[in-house]
Amino acid sequence: MEGIFANLGIGFVEVFKLQAVTIAGMSMTLPFNILMCLIGVILGTLIGVLPGIGPVATIAMLLPVTFNLSPIAALIMLAGIYYGAQYGGSTSAILVNLPGESSSVVTCLDGYQMARRGRAGPALATAALASFFAGCVSTLIVAMFAPPLAEVALKFGPAEYFSLMVLGLVSAVVLAHGSLIKAIAMVILGLLLGLVGTDVNSGVLRFAFGISEMADGIGFVTVAMGMFGIAEIIGNLEQKEHREVFTDKVGHLWPTKDDFKRIIGPTLRGTALGSALGILPGGGALLASFGAYTLEKKVSKNAHEFGKGAIEGVAAPESANNAGAQTSFIPLLTLGIPSNAVMALMIGAMMIQGIAPGPQVMTERPQLFWGMIASMWVGNLMLVLLNLPMIGLWIKLLTVPYRILYPSILLFMAVGVFSISNQPFDCFLMALFGLLGYVCVKLECEPAPLILGFILGPLMEENLRRAMLLSRGDPFVFISPSKPISLGFLAASALLLIIIALPALRKKREEAFAAEEQA
Amino acid sequence: MKRFLLFVALAAAAGAAAAQAWPSRPLRLVAPYAAGGPIDISARLLAAKLQESLGQPVVVENRPGAGGNIGVDLIAKGPADGYSLVMSAIATLAINPSLYPGLPYDPLRDLRHVTLLVQVPNVLVVSNDLPAKNVQELVALAKARPGKLDFGSGSSGSTGHLAGEMFKMMTGTYLVHIPYKGSAPALADMMAGRIHLMFDNLASALPSIKSDKVRALAVTTLKRSSFLPELPTMDEAGLKGFDMTTWWGVSVAAKTPQPVVERLSAEILKAMAAPDFKERLHNMGSDAPAIRTPEQFTSFVAAELKTYTELVKRSGAKAD
Repeated sequence: MEGIFANLGIGFVEVFKLQAVTIAGMSMTLPFNILMCLIGVILGTLIGVLPGIGPVATIAMLLPVTFNLSPIAALIMLAGIYYGAQYGGSTSAILVNLPGESSSVVTCLDGYQMARRGRAGPALATAALASFFAGCVSTLIVAMFAPPLAEVALKFGPAEYFSLMVLGLVSAVVLAHGSLIKAIAMVILGLLLGLVGTDVNSGVLRFAFGISEMADGIGFVTVAMGMFGIAEIIGNLEQKEHREVFTDKVGHLWPTKDDFKRIIGPTLRGTALGSALGILPGGGALLASFGAYTLEKKVSKNAHEFGKGAIEGVAAPESANNAGAQTSFIPLLTLGIPSNAVMALMIGAMMIQGIAPGPQVMTERPQLFWGMIASMWVGNLMLVLLNLPMIGLWIKLLTVPYRILYPSILLFMAVGVFSISNQPFDCFLMALFGLLGYVCVKLECEPAPLILGFILGPLMEENLRRAMLLSRGDPFVFISPSKPISLGFLAASALLLIIIALPALRKKREEAFAAEEQA
Repeated sequence: MKRFLLFVALAAAAGAAAAQAWPSRPLRLVAPYAAGGPIDISARLLAAKLQESLGQPVVVENRPGAGGNIGVDLIAKGPADGYSLVMSAIATLAINPSLYPGLPYDPLRDLRHVTLLVQVPNVLVVSNDLPAKNVQELVALAKARPGKLDFGSGSSGSTGHLAGEMFKMMTGTYLVHIPYKGSAPALADMMAGRIHLMFDNLASALPSIKSDKVRALAVTTLKRSSFLPELPTMDEAGLKGFDMTTWWGVSVAAKTPQPVVERLSAEILKAMAAPDFKERLHNMGSDAPAIRTPEQFTSFVAAELKTYTELVKRSGAKAD
């Protein structure tokens, strides 16, 4: 334990170290690393707010710049961009129903509803505070338990991943608050959309209709922005009588005492779930925010408010995704294995600086390792200090008249989607999904289960088929006693299915919704 | 009248610009993959260097899709004026032509190959749980347990996959191919002992080799790698002539004027000789390639195309 604090001490010294630097011909002494951290988190917040432009593209573009920095300064900045984007992503999700990345889809559900009720301020503050708390806790977890947790990550093979995804999909149905059948239909539609593209095993193209732009599948951002952003705008413009104007009901900026009471539990649970799932490379962190939301909806006594602006529905996924973002550094730092595209880039950055990532980094370059961990904590503090005063400013955005606001959002979305692969085709596809989203709104089908199906479908299929390949086609591999983790997930899924399907319970569920509608 | 004068002035300026030596306007360098991979990173590094020496901005443009074919096709069919460059690679020039039946470009007819930038060996790595300590023991094990050993790869039709197929062909063994999405998850599964071996790119396998999470048996090049000098080559280990590298370089449209190609080649070679750029490419696992001129690069592409066409056909890998 003492060792940890000594190590973190090394890290903090490294982060706040004064360095002689030469900028534009002038040499001066600056706490350079901390400045880089600040630049990183500001940049991250910005790209997080802008739809489409994600941390991967930003970090890639900045890589050449970082080669002139010391390895530690470069990594601190790049990491700052990554978790800064997690903060920024929630802002556009809450204010304009635009999920910039997969983790903020869930934040849209209740965050945007809160904004519609004039509670954008508390929603933004909750997102920032919950993220900050989660960031602090999970940074400590990374510092204390990184090596043993990495071993846990290795326990997850194709069979375990598949079963985890099954559990995720079953809980997707719980995400929806309307008709069960419609939720299942949307999950299946999402799964089907996820099938588009090149099959991993055989390399054969599926459902691409000869369009080479679809050979790599449909982009997540394209679907999410169409289904959420564009559909929302069309839906709003349609209402001639009382078009939504947030202007008069912006209300207070801060969460009330009651709000604070309500977010403590969800934040704690979200942090725990996020930290645990974040460790798993390949989709673990992605499930964290969905999982945290589903969990809250099941345990909260305010369950009936979910989907209509429940503050728990913001606190839980936000803490989960930030915790997951921090713990996803564990496989990178201890095994040299990237858990997502951003981590792969960080490995690239380290290699080019001449550092081979892996467990030896901790012993060979303690300054770098602990400096980076300490910087994450400092970066999270900066983000919360940066974001809280910004809330007033963001809310002003809502007072912009819709005739200006909507075209600007559309423009930003188009730019964002285009910037991913420089294909005009993606913009058309986004518009198409906007139409689909609008039809879904009219049919009272919710987009969230579709998005979850879309994200999980390909991962699930990939792992299913890999597990089958490895077992030479034995379907019992998922429930064999030698794979207790997989067995456990499948048992949990079955239990959840029974709970959903039990007619008595279902009746109760309908009654609850009927009561809700009357209220 | 004013307009007419403006028009004349503009026309004159344009004429003058065209007459000036290449390059007189910004260049674009297409990276046919999503931002962040090694090819994209080296494109960005190269762009920064060329910008200095050519005095014109060099803009990296990511055009991912269809295994890199979309981006390469863009340049193959684009203007042959020397302002449009593409990062071409073993996948798009040598493997995809036989993997994708309807490939819209011909790697030899539609493109001019300027400079080979990076050549990274693949490494044969095995799980620590596997008793085989060298290539011969691995071959013996594979023969004793036919169809029981699994080899992973970053994707179907990747160099890792094809290296595995070449191994099977040369040793007469049968291994089961398990494709992944990228080599990192395959490495993780190998560390956990779920798959037995893989041919991975040196750069991505090196950290795990150095930290003893997996065991390296050989490199796939004819020459040993400076990163793991103690490691034998496949050739030394008994698989005579086993030679595979992952490589990428710069290509332009076929009709690009010869002087432009020569100047471009000279500038890229100059950049590659600069210590900082050289070191960074080296850190990606690349020892400086022996292939230097556009002519050498082109005949190298032709030879690789032939090898891989054969290999893909025999492996049965395919993409529609």
